[in-house]
Amino acid sequence: MRRTGLIIALTLALAASMTLAACGGGGGTSDSTNKAAAPAAAPKCGAGTGQKATGTPIKLGGIATKQPGTDFTDIPNAAKAFFDCVNDNGGIKGHPIQYVIETEQTDPGQIASLAKKLVETEKVVGIVGNTSLIECAVNHTYYEKQGFYIVDSGIAPECYSTPNSAAVNMGPRYSVDGATQYLLRQGVKKVVLDQSNVPGTGYIEGGFLLIAKSAGVPTASLKDNVPIQDANSIALKLVQAAGSNGGVVLNFTPPEALKILQAAQRQGLQNRVKWACSTPCNTDFLSDALGSQWNDKLGVNAELNLTSASGPDSQLYRAVLKRYAPKIPLGSFSQMGFVEASILTKALLSVSGDYTAKNVNEAIKNVKNFQTDILCKPWYYGSAPLHIPNNTDRTVTPKDGKMVEKEGCFPISDVDPAIAQVRQIEAKG
Amino acid sequence: MPSWQDFQPFIVAGLALGGVYALSGVGMVVLYRTTGVLNLAFGAVGAMGAFIAWSLINSLHWPSGIAYLVCVAFGAVVTLLYGVLFGPPLAGRDPLVKAAATLGLALILLGTMSWVWSDKARSMTLPTTDHGFEVGTVLINWTQIIALALGVLVTATTAVFLRRTGLGTAMRALANDREITAALGVPVRRVEAATWLVSGALAGVAGLLLSNLVGLDAATLTFLVISSLAATLIARLRSLVMTFVAGIVIGLVNAMVTPFFSISQYRDMAPFVLAIVALLFLSRHEQISFARRSE
Repeated sequence: MRRTGLIIALTLALAASMTLAACGGGGGTSDSTNKAAAPAAAPKCGAGTGQKATGTPIKLGGIATKQPGTDFTDIPNAAKAFFDCVNDNGGIKGHPIQYVIETEQTDPGQIASLAKKLVETEKVVGIVGNTSLIECAVNHTYYEKQGFYIVDSGIAPECYSTPNSAAVNMGPRYSVDGATQYLLRQGVKKVVLDQSNVPGTGYIEGGFLLIAKSAGVPTASLKDNVPIQDANSIALKLVQAAGSNGGVVLNFTPPEALKILQAAQRQGLQNRVKWACSTPCNTDFLSDALGSQWNDKLGVNAELNLTSASGPDSQLYRAVLKRYAPKIPLGSFSQMGFVEASILTKALLSVSGDYTAKNVNEAIKNVKNFQTDILCKPWYYGSAPLHIPNNTDRTVTPKDGKMVEKEGCFPISDVDPAIAQVRQIEAKG
Repeated sequence: MPSWQDFQPFIVAGLALGGVYALSGVGMVVLYRTTGVLNLAFGAVGAMGAFIAWSLINSLHWPSGIAYLVCVAFGAVVTLLYGVLFGPPLAGRDPLVKAAATLGLALILLGTMSWVWSDKARSMTLPTTDHGFEVGTVLINWTQIIALALGVLVTATTAVFLRRTGLGTAMRALANDREITAALGVPVRRVEAATWLVSGALAGVAGLLLSNLVGLDAATLTFLVISSLAATLIARLRSLVMTFVAGIVIGLVNAMVTPFFSISQYRDMAPFVLAIVALLFLSRHEQISFARRSE
């Protein structure tokens, strides 16, 4: 009995020491991307006073998908990092921002109740940072009735086709459009789209099919279940479907895209076709995981600037993440959260009366000409029946563990009807 | 309809995956026959071992070989711990209760992985994955060869071990009747502990291979146990050879359905469709039973 006890104690100690040894060295999520260097000056956000805000809090909320294979929480978490920075710099006229993040698992009932919880129980005065596979579809009418103007990262069609949602990104459909345009410029003879088998894939493939058709290039649109369990077979399938001189567009979250790209590499397929990816692949973490064998071989549609860009907002973005959220990797997701929080901060600073839901949402709706070097052109909200303020983007490519620019800003094709409609709205001012 | 040439690389991918399913299935069957526990945490244990190896290599810069050994050792130690701590109290319970308890372990490990490593893109490439050879137009890497070879080796070695060694005989005796075996003086707990240890080591090996063949992703690796489980069900949790064959067939069918675009997205159902068809066929003249002889 004593011997058994000793064995148990020894095995417990061994297991614990192995786990701690493995995890204790910063094995979190940001090891290759956001390492702390020498201490830097505290970043200045919002009012930039350097004084902690101590007034009554202004409450904001956000909802993001978090489930196996799909985790968008980097976006609201990056927004929170910016708000923390604002709070350390005087807040909003002395009021700190209190940001409530809710996560959901693609359950419409749960998502509807979370929106009600934020608005009616938490009494938030604004909603920002929402990033969900179906949240826009579920909640847009509720927000319209409540008079809430949401600043989000869109995925579902309703994020881009309803009056009370304006995204800082262009979403999977238009990002896939951009990736498709990149491949067509590369001269591919056939283009294949593969995406995760989740709600909304029919909407996403719509622009891809139209753009390829207008260029006279044949297409194939495929779906695969996530989490992917047989990446080797999927990579083979895509290459065979694209054929000689073909191209493949992937629309997956980074871990899933990585599985396919690495499977392609393992089977020597990275040179058999041209590869492209929608925005989620735009992360140094993915580039680092892919390694140099993918240098210049993957065109990633970038709805936002490079994380290493030298503009003042890009510098602030990196400084904010380093100080307030060192575990969040540099990438499109965290950039979106940063930009969304910046927009909300600008709107909040413009409120002249009390920070009520009515006043705050009016200020959000009135945001226009929001300039940032993270986007290709100024962002706006306004009273249009639909909003796609980000409709010009770049292409980036992996290079030695980093993403570098491959193509500068280019307009998303107005062959896609909603883009044509937005261009008309923009032309009218 | 894809051509034969198009199918060839899918056969390679399917055989490699099937080899790991077989290896995992054999580990699960041996454990079930000896202890009566269907270990649903098999995938999660391997996954966590692979993540620990990833951290050791990328965060602590340990030599890869040692990290891989730690992965296997982690699987062995955690599984042994579970068996030693929870095996005896659950020994007399219904097999369903025992299986549900291992599901608890799987969920704890999955939650821990999500918490510690979160859901970010990671990769861990075995040196054998970077090297290979071409057969016709198909590039085969050594990890794929090792996966299949290990499946064969583990099945054959386990079968011989169970027949030719004292410990193997004790395991088979336990599979027949735990109480009588104990009354005959066989050190039941030690034999069970040895089985947990070996099964856990196999989980670690499977986790390492699958992190290369499939990807380093907690949920994926955890739930890949489903394919192995289907293989063990086809073998009715008894025959090692049948488990091996079923694992290979599941891997092959899964891969070879992929190039058929119209049904490709439904191929994840393949393990259980095969299991149901096989069970219906095998039981056409008898009643299906997964029980050990003493139950």
